[in-house]
Amino acid sequence: FNPNWSRQMTILQESRSAPGFCLLKGSFSFHCHQVFAPGGFCYVSVNWSKSLVSTNSILMLPLYFLVCLFFVCVFVFAELLLDILREKPQEADGIDSVVVVDNVPQVGPERLEKLKNVIHKIFSKFGKITTEFYPEADGMTKGYIFLEYAAPTQALEAVKNADGYKLDKQHTFRVNLFTDFDKYMTISDEWETPEKQPFKDFGNMRHWIEDPDCRDQYSVIYEAGERTAIFSNDAKEPITAEERARWTETYVRWSPKGTYLATFHQRGIALWGGEKFKQIQRFSHQGVSLIDFSPCERYVVTFSPLMDTKEDPQAIIIWDILTGQKKRGFHCESSAHWPIFKWSHDGKFFARMTQDTLSIYETPSMGLLDKKSLKISGIKDFSWSPGDNIIAFWVPEDKDIPARVTLMQLPSRQEIRVRNLFNVVDCKLHWQRNGDYLCVKVDRTPKGTQGVVTNFEIFRMREKQVPVDVVEMKDSIIAFAWEPNGSKFAVLHGESPRINASFYHVKNNGKIELIKMFDKQQANSIFWSPQGQFMVLAGLRSMNGALAFVDTSDCTMMNIAEHYMASDVEWDPTGRYVVTSVSWWSHKVDNAYWLWTFQGRLLQKNNKDRFCQLLWRPRPPTLLSTDQIKMIKKDLKKYSKIFEQKDRLSQSKASKELVDKRRAMMEEYRRYRETAQQIYQEQKSIRLELRGGVDTDELDSNVDDWEEETIEFFINEEIIPLGDL
Amino acid sequence: MRAVWCVDCDWDTKNVLTGSADNSCRLWDCETGKQLALLNTNSAVRTCGFDFSGNIIMFSTDKQMGYQCYLNFFDLRDPQQIEDNQPYLSIPCNDAKITSAVWGPLGEFVNAGHENGEINQFSAKSGEILKKAKEHSRQINDIQTSVDLTMFISASKDNTAKLFDSTSLEHIKTFKTERPVNSAAISPIMDHVVMGGGQEAMEVTTTSTRIGKFEARFFHAAYEEEFGRVKGHFGPINCVAFHPDGKSYSSGGEDGYVRIHYFDPQYFDFELEA
Repeated sequence: FNPNWSRQMTILQESRSAPGFCLLKGSFSFHCHQVFAPGGFCYVSVNWSKSLVSTNSILMLPLYFLVCLFFVCVFVFAELLLDILREKPQEADGIDSVVVVDNVPQVGPERLEKLKNVIHKIFSKFGKITTEFYPEADGMTKGYIFLEYAAPTQALEAVKNADGYKLDKQHTFRVNLFTDFDKYMTISDEWETPEKQPFKDFGNMRHWIEDPDCRDQYSVIYEAGERTAIFSNDAKEPITAEERARWTETYVRWSPKGTYLATFHQRGIALWGGEKFKQIQRFSHQGVSLIDFSPCERYVVTFSPLMDTKEDPQAIIIWDILTGQKKRGFHCESSAHWPIFKWSHDGKFFARMTQDTLSIYETPSMGLLDKKSLKISGIKDFSWSPGDNIIAFWVPEDKDIPARVTLMQLPSRQEIRVRNLFNVVDCKLHWQRNGDYLCVKVDRTPKGTQGVVTNFEIFRMREKQVPVDVVEMKDSIIAFAWEPNGSKFAVLHGESPRINASFYHVKNNGKIELIKMFDKQQANSIFWSPQGQFMVLAGLRSMNGALAFVDTSDCTMMNIAEHYMASDVEWDPTGRYVVTSVSWWSHKVDNAYWLWTFQGRLLQKNNKDRFCQLLWRPRPPTLLSTDQIKMIKKDLKKYSKIFEQKDRLSQSKASKELVDKRRAMMEEYRRYRETAQQIYQEQKSIRLELRGGVDTDELDSNVDDWEEETIEFFINEEIIPLGDL
Repeated sequence: MRAVWCVDCDWDTKNVLTGSADNSCRLWDCETGKQLALLNTNSAVRTCGFDFSGNIIMFSTDKQMGYQCYLNFFDLRDPQQIEDNQPYLSIPCNDAKITSAVWGPLGEFVNAGHENGEINQFSAKSGEILKKAKEHSRQINDIQTSVDLTMFISASKDNTAKLFDSTSLEHIKTFKTERPVNSAAISPIMDHVVMGGGQEAMEVTTTSTRIGKFEARFFHAAYEEEFGRVKGHFGPINCVAFHPDGKSYSSGGEDGYVRIHYFDPQYFDFELEA
């Protein structure tokens, strides 16, 4: 609002509210009201107040007329003045609705009309363009234009949507508000360096990897969630690294490389790490219930069903772990298929699927890739390759267009493979852990039949043009799992009690070979060792914890065992140990976790009061090159000699410790018993008295109780012939 | 008329004492089966026993229907007490009721286990609490003495059994399991204890009942280590006891069976490495 204007008005006002000059005996006064509404509009109301005018003199009449005329003129003049003043162009006026568009093609007068039409078509989508200005120099347009909209909101829309618009290969529009230029140009030349934040030293975040005996850690939640402990895994018995009461309110999660432990609280989540598990970072998200990490451990995604408003999406928040900043919030209708945002393997992209849309975002800007989502009508499911920036998604049948699975390269969005599928009921995507293969489990109802059959479409990602092989399965599928870093997969199929476990090898020659099938298995889940080759077939929960340890190099059963009512199986990150556990969350008694070797030999049974969850701490990827690994494998015999010696030493130390402990306990017990015996002997007389002289100290101490009985035993028969007499 | 909760015989098996949920405690002649005395109570009789001499009996009554838990003492040498149903000593227990009780070695006191895991030593003469022990965190299901009465073992719902000195109530050993322990006994001839237990009767469902799942467990008394288990029951074990000669033991279970096991010769030779 122009301060000069109001001052002028005040002057007018003042002059007008000066007491009216006196005419004759009466007095005139009038005052003028100005009401200035926020829009710069103003309305003026004028009140006349006339006091009595003497009507005595007829002479006065023309004078009155003149005076009235005068006032009317003044009034009109004032009004006009106001109008003019109102329309005085102000710097702020209209500027907010102006946008500047850069990277406009420079054209000569002959193509100017066409250019104007194109610009008009594009930019009138956002509002009514009231003015346009195409500055020229030397007969060509300069390459930037000014557009004025009817309202500032329309200008904002134009900036939001047209900025970055690709007109053609050489011209991508940059759209800015005119006022922004001013804003950025008037930035002070003086710059204050931001205050230096003190460096928070959390110590060596990878401290646990440096354990001299290469013990892996795992977290255990027990006492129904009251206590959380971190143990170092030793074959003899777990070594406590940290133990805290009420560390988390629900459960815990490790970050993908094992650096952080995340705990849940009503107000948000906390990340802990370093040697002493200090609190590294805290993220405030009321009512958080689910989290997910980016694979690079740079970001964490939290979900809370509580906080969400239309203007400020808060259901899902993405945070930067190192700075603790909130990067972006999103709406979320349901958390049924968590994680909603799926990350690419390198953390460069994350994507989510909504009705008919696939939205891919890039980091660190957290903006949509290419500024827009992909419209994929009917998209049912998608997933990232764990090895490359490739997304696989599938859409079901649509009238006469068959269902298809598509592989799309990011960020180019090039479709590198499309596979049509017919009579599809459902599809599930299973990637091999290195991204070498994709298995699409297709449930189909072939024409003319009622039943559902399943095929596995195996995509060979590493071969040119991604050939696809099909494996047909006769029974219903219970479970499917790829060997983590190999080319085998295992399938559980059939119906209880005839459940079969089949192992397939995807060979280089284009064939997929069935290596072995075990029938009548008690299993409903497959757990491969993270290093491949070994695996556990488990019958969890309703199958009462049947376990089968398999070596898939020759498909032999190494051991068949049982952990009654086991609810979970977890391999350690090195593939040496397996933990089976009975969680209090699924079964209220016998809560414990058992430690096995990868061959199925039981090492430990650890009972924990109301044991809930065990999670191994993941390891960061190895720093060794493939050549170095080869060298170590070559020299393995040398290393194993040293390790065996070490093991034997610690073994004998352990048994020595145990033996010493037992000896001490026995001595203590003996001492106690001797003292007690002494007192017992001293009390003998009292005992005799209480029982009327009968000695009952020993079972056979009461002579009166003895009975004599003579028994004859047949010992020998000797026949002596009497014939010689 | 109703369930018999406890039974005990005196040292030369002349008389038998029983306590029942029909609110009575009865004395019987063991040879003839004739009822010698009837003592009515206000609530169920939970535990009973003869003292070392066989002259004094004690029994405890449950906390039921407004009546408190009492520990009553009768002197059998005084027929008047029996006739009038007037114990010479009646100790009220205000808080947790008594769940199991045994006499001390010379009949001067009774060691009682309570519903809250406490063990109190009540004088049989004055009724005052001579000693206390709060070692268990949950209900004590059973107390049994060693053959010379110098020690006793308490079996508790908190998944442990503990060995105490009868006179000082000093806590000597603890034996840990992962199931509630219903009963425990001390071997008369070896340094062994046997324990039986199982899930709460309520928690046993048809899916988890497995044949022979409930086991009697043997622990070494000095090392507190389990060295053996005997399967066979298919319901929780409610009671275990050693034969006085230590060559066999018996167990009774929820499944309605009493099992008697005789030990192999190897049992007597077995030793943990020490």
